[in-house]
Amino acid sequence: MLDDLVTKLADTPWSVELHESLYMYAITESTHVMSIMLFVGTIAMIDLRLLGVSYAQVPVSQMLSRMLPWTITGFALLVITGGMLFLAIPIRTYHSLWFRLKCLMILIAAINIFIFTFKVERDKAKWDLGPVPNKSKICAVISLSAWACVIVFGRLIAYNWFDCDSITSPSMAQITGCPLDPG
Amino acid sequence: MNLYAIAQNIEASALGQAIRESTWLFPAIEATHLLALAMLGGSVLIIALAVLGIGLKTPPAELHKSARRYMNAAVVILLITGILLGVSEPVKLYGRQAFWVKMTSLALALAITYFAFNPLVRRGDRDGVARTVAVATMAAWLMVAMAGRWIGFS
Repeated sequence: MLDDLVTKLADTPWSVELHESLYMYAITESTHVMSIMLFVGTIAMIDLRLLGVSYAQVPVSQMLSRMLPWTITGFALLVITGGMLFLAIPIRTYHSLWFRLKCLMILIAAINIFIFTFKVERDKAKWDLGPVPNKSKICAVISLSAWACVIVFGRLIAYNWFDCDSITSPSMAQITGCPLDPG
Repeated sequence: MNLYAIAQNIEASALGQAIRESTWLFPAIEATHLLALAMLGGSVLIIALAVLGIGLKTPPAELHKSARRYMNAAVVILLITGILLGVSEPVKLYGRQAFWVKMTSLALALAITYFAFNPLVRRGDRDGVARTVAVATMAAWLMVAMAGRWIGFS
């Protein structure tokens, strides 16, 4: 089903235009990279506070209320530009091992945010300025690691080591959803 | 010896060859460069947004005490990984306009950050000058990142 969808996407005029336009693709890619500074940059600073290693003088509640709007702005920019980059090269990206690993990491990071928001930070009034509890530190480490992986895997999508035409093992064909070439 | 000849010599160096010939080295250095870019963005933004009154309410001078180590670490990692990336393909870079735009904006960004932004923040300034410098610092680093990505396209 997803296979059909990406094939259809690749045939849309938007996809073709994005793919063929040097400037639009380059501008989108550059904006994607700049938005990383806003998104991962601010999230990393929040995580360092939640880890208890920096910004001890900033209350956790203020760190979240005053910085998260910037993080969310960065995320919105990343989703828009990321969506456009996917639209420009749908089929190859869909089968990319790195893209799939990147999505997995985003999922892990999202679950982590969910747990933090609905479980961990609920009693933050108790540790707003005091020592942070272990549960907060664990969330911070997961967040920092997951987003770092997202950046690294995202960069690696550009490399063709595991493109469909170079996949020979059945397990890799399974993971990437590529047809296994019998030849 | 002119600049182009120097670029050719660097390209022929053992280090340049090693990075070029390795499958993983260039992407690994590139990824590290990007991670440091995120850290630089975060450490500059957390201070600059507070200076502009649209971020944390903690005095920027206080934030600077925590953020500066990440800013300095990020700049050092960016410079080291950037030099390694450059050493692997200096002849290509020599001919790329985006590279020279990036180097110019990098010099500008470093100068603004270390000679204007940081000193003003440490002094606790929040006036029009400090705000202008905060915006200029963010703009300069954005320019560096943009031109940097553009090297791969031009």
